Parts: sequence; structure tokens; C-alpha cells
Amino acid sequence: MEAMISERLKKVILRELDLDDFDIEDTTTADMVPGWDSLNHARVIAAVEEEFGIRFRTLELIALRNVGGLQELIDKQNRGSR
Amino acid sequence: MMETPRIDTDGIVWDLWVRNAEQSPECEAILHWSAGQPPYRWLRGDLLRAAGKYAEHLEGLGVRKGDVCALIIRHRKEFYPIYMAVCALGALPSVLAYPNQRLHPDKFRQGLEGMAKKSGLHWVLTERDLDSITSPLLLREGSTVRGIFFPLEWTEEAGESPGRILHPGVRFGDPFLLQHSSGTTGLQKAVVLSHRAILEHVHLYGLSIGLNPDDRIVSWLPLYHDMGLIAAFHLPLAAGIPVVQLDPFEWVTAPVIFLDAISRERGTLGWLPNFAYNLMADRIRGDDLEGIRLDSVRMLINCSEPVRAESHDRFYGRFAPYGFRRSALAACYAMAETTFAATQTHPGREANRLTVAREAIGKDVIRMPETQEDARVCISSGAPIPGCEMRIVDESGADLSGGRLGEIAIRSVSLFDGYRNHPEQTAEVLRDGWYFTGDYGFSHEGEYYVIGRKKDIIIVAGKNIYPEDIEDAVGQVPGILPGRVIAFGMEDRDSGTEQIGVVAETSHSEDLEKKKLRRAVVRAGMQIDVTISRVYLAPPRWLIKSSSGKPARRANMDRAVVGLDWR
Repeated sequence: MEAMISERLKKVILRELDLDDFDIEDTTTADMVPGWDSLNHARVIAAVEEEFGIRFRTLELIALRNVGGLQELIDKQNRGSR
Repeated sequence: MMETPRIDTDGIVWDLWVRNAEQSPECEAILHWSAGQPPYRWLRGDLLRAAGKYAEHLEGLGVRKGDVCALIIRHRKEFYPIYMAVCALGALPSVLAYPNQRLHPDKFRQGLEGMAKKSGLHWVLTERDLDSITSPLLLREGSTVRGIFFPLEWTEEAGESPGRILHPGVRFGDPFLLQHSSGTTGLQKAVVLSHRAILEHVHLYGLSIGLNPDDRIVSWLPLYHDMGLIAAFHLPLAAGIPVVQLDPFEWVTAPVIFLDAISRERGTLGWLPNFAYNLMADRIRGDDLEGIRLDSVRMLINCSEPVRAESHDRFYGRFAPYGFRRSALAACYAMAETTFAATQTHPGREANRLTVAREAIGKDVIRMPETQEDARVCISSGAPIPGCEMRIVDESGADLSGGRLGEIAIRSVSLFDGYRNHPEQTAEVLRDGWYFTGDYGFSHEGEYYVIGRKKDIIIVAGKNIYPEDIEDAVGQVPGILPGRVIAFGMEDRDSGTEQIGVVAETSHSEDLEKKKLRRAVVRAGMQIDVTISRVYLAPPRWLIKSSSGKPARRANMDRAVVGLDWR
């Protein structure tokens, strides 16, 4: 199932990468987004964790392929914490 | 401390591997780690047998002594025996970076074509995913490329260790490998290293770090980089000590895996570019460190970009509670042209620090600071390793004494044989047996401090980037005035490395148009796998030209940072 990218997630990503706007969809990968290189990746992930009050596991991060996957991880953790 | 194992320097590299495997076939050689899987543990004997099999296959396909073989393979356990197989035939391996999706396929292919034209390229050993990108190389008129292979798909048949000689007529002084500098256009140069250079270097460098049979190296470094290939592959393989190889992409995503590997495998040695100290200190969370112990580490060697005191302090502060010792904060000064290291700090002792006057550095004189604001802490890269001599010289090549700042020149037993097919560029830097590095530094009490560069090369996370490549890509963006672009590196204390800034002239003056243009400039950088962090747009004729008629980088960089908006 495709994950719907929330406005909240988009906002965090754009803010961390200093972008005014960029079309982020579930199939968007980091290398498609200006500034989202391997060095900035850790910063984006830390910001997402802080925003949503969650923690990703190492293996989850390594397996991550696109923004849809990131949204799914957030949704999963949020469901788990309810 | 146990004695450094003797590495034979009188044969060829393959023979040394064979001897090591025959002496102790059951000893661990390479521990290949991949996330979510148990490590694959290559024993010396198995590794050599696999290499022999691949070598026979390659020989059957026509690979011969002296052929250049590009290896473009991701973090796979098969990579190591494939690399060794190329060496077994006396062919020259050249490990290249596997392109990420950001890099435009045309740019990647152009890089390969440039390499083929300049340094020769006969065979490409890669993965099936790159078939469509690499196969046009075969069809190009006048191409030197004879074949593209996908060795990961070859099934390994059972067999004995290769008994026959696979490397007819290869001698000690013959070229062994090609190390390509980065650069996507016509700027790549291939450093040619002989068997002599590799063997002398691993032996002498091993002495300088007190390498001993109890050592275990842990590395996430890419093997297309000299630090990964020489320090974390050739050195352990020649010395017969195990090395843990991690995936660079997995490491940058989850840096804790480096510490986890040290902890589980009892790693003692590692090499890191400066940014890695910041990344690990800042990004690894406390709850990921549960159970991690770093007491086994005797040296983490900072190398490949300027060494920053603040990075060492941050790393030590973060990981001392997990057993990391201050004495393990080491550094070296290294480059492909000297095979790898030219200097090394002393084992068992933290790299020395020297506080000098920042203002004086700009005047080529090193002295102590008078005020706190003027103080700059420099970290020593250590003393020359055995077999290596160094000088600090002025622009005419004359020696500078008494702690004066100048260009670093090196003479070494493991010096490269020149840039392949580039006699003019070789002659520029290699004169009377001395290599003129283009780096600025000074010496103090027998140790060397490297603090700047004569060349405008940018180093981001240990990777060398030529400003010309960025300027060329940005100059092609519609709306940017061709030839009116400069690119430069900007120190970023937070990440412990450099960020890339660009100044480009445009006739556009509307805010909306400029916003679109900035984005297009960033995208142009992405296509050559470069992240441009700041785009300064300037009106026509803003950039100052140098005497050569090209925009002067440093003068314009200072003006842009002060006088232009980058948002």
C-alpha cells in the first residue's frame, strides 16, 4: 500500500534542507531532492524523529528506500504508541 | 607490544598473498559486514582459491598482463577475490565509485570515456544494473574497451588453489594498479603505483603505526579511495591481519555500525576523514550505544581532509565513557601519489597540538598568538614515516626554514611512477625525485602541520572535488552567463568538512526568476553528484578576473560572502 505523505513530514524535510518548496511524493528518493545527500540525511532523520517524538531502529534506517517508506515507519510507530 | 610482522618487499603483491594463504589458510582475512546479515568471514585460503577461479575465468575471456580493468562494484563479498583475480593476471585494477542515482548517467559515462581516452581502459567489471550505461562504451568508434563483464553472476565452481603461475613475467617494478582522482570531466588523472610502491609502503607504514599480529582493522571507507584501498585493504592483506569491511552507504546512514563492529570484532585500528568524527559524535544516540566498548582501539587515524582539533575533542568527549582513549586520537598526512601516508603521529600518543597566530598564517610566518581571538589550534599529522623525506619550500622550490609556511615536497620509496599518459602534468609536480604536493604546511619539532592548499581543490567528506567540474556544470544552466561562474569550498565547523558555494553571474534581476535559477544551479550540481549549499547570484561583470582572464576564485569568494545574498 502506498503511504500518503503528510504535510507535517514534508514541512520537516523542507525546513531541514532549507527549501522553500519541493514536490515530495511517496516515491521520492533522497537523491531527487536538492541538498538531501548522504551527509544531510542524518540531519533530516534526526529532525523527523524529533518532530514526531519517535525513534527509528538502525536496520529500519538502512532499509529505507524512499519518502513513502519513511512515512510508513512514522505511521507504524504512531500506531504502536497509541 | 608485539613485533610488527615482516612484509616481504622483494617479490610481487600476488606472491605475497599466496605465501600468506599457504602459511595460514584458516586465518581470517576479510570480515565482510552487511546490515541484517551475519558477517561473511573470508579465510585466507578460501579467498585465494576464489581469486584463482575468477582469474581463470578472466583469462579465458582475454584479460592479459598490463590491461586496465575498471571495477565498479558495490559492497559485495565477491569484490575482494575479483580484485585479487585482476592482480593475479598482472592486469591493472582501477576501482571506481559505483554511481548513485543522483549522478546523471551521461556524466558517469563521460567520466569513463575520459578515463578510457586518457589512461586506457580495456575491461569493465561491474554489475548488471549498469549494463545500459556502460554498454555504449563498447560501440563507440575508436573505443579501447574490449569487454564488459558481470562477474557477480559467475557461478563459482569447486576447485583447488591455482597451482600454476597466473602472472607471466610480472616484475617488482611493473605497474600494479591505477588510482583515479575524482573529477567528472577531463580532469581525472590516474596515479600509477608499482608492486614496489605498494609493498614498500605497506611494510614501512606498518612499522610507523606499530602494526602487530593482534591488530584488527575496521573500515567503512570506500575502496575507490586510497585511504580505503591501501590502509584498509592492501595493508591488512599483506600483513596477514584481519580487516572488517563495512558498507560506506550503510555507515553514513547509521554511523553506529562502525562502533558496533569495533566492539564486536575487538577492532584496534581505523582510518577516518575528519567529518566522520563530527558525524559520529553528533548523530549517534545514547540508546544505540548500549553494550558498545571501544577500549580495544589503539589508533583512529584522521586523514584525507584537514584535521580539526574541535572534531577530535567532540569525538573524545562523546565516546570516552565507552572506553575510547584519548591516546588513540591519531592523524596522518597521505595522498595517492605517495601510495598513501607520508607522515604519521606516534602510536600510543595523542596527535600533538600547536596553537599559532591565525593572522600570521596568512603572512607565511608561523608564530604564537598574542590574543585568544587570533589563536588557531593546529593538529600535527606526525613525522615522516620511514623511507619518506619532506621539505617545506617556497614558490621557487627553495627550502624554507624555521617553521615558515610553504609548500610541502616529498621524496619517498613508495612514490608513484607518474600520472598515466600525462607526462606534462607529471613533470609539473614530480621534479628531481621530489613530489610537490600543492599543500601548504609547516614543520615544528620534526612534525608536520598541514593547513591549506595551493590548489583550489575542494574536499567534502574526504572526497576531492575540482571546482572546474562544478563551474562547467553550472555554466551550462540556461540563464547563467557562460564562463562567469566560480565554485569554492567553505569551512563548515558544524559538519567538520567543507560546504560548496557558487557565485554565478546572471542578467535576471527578478526575485522569482532568481529563485528558479538558484534551484537550477543546485540541480546542475546534483547531476554531477555534488551538493551546492550556497548559490550567490551576481549581476553581469560582477566577478573579478585574474591575470589569466578567468574569474579569480578566492578574491570573488570573499566578496560574495560579504556582499551577496545566497537565499
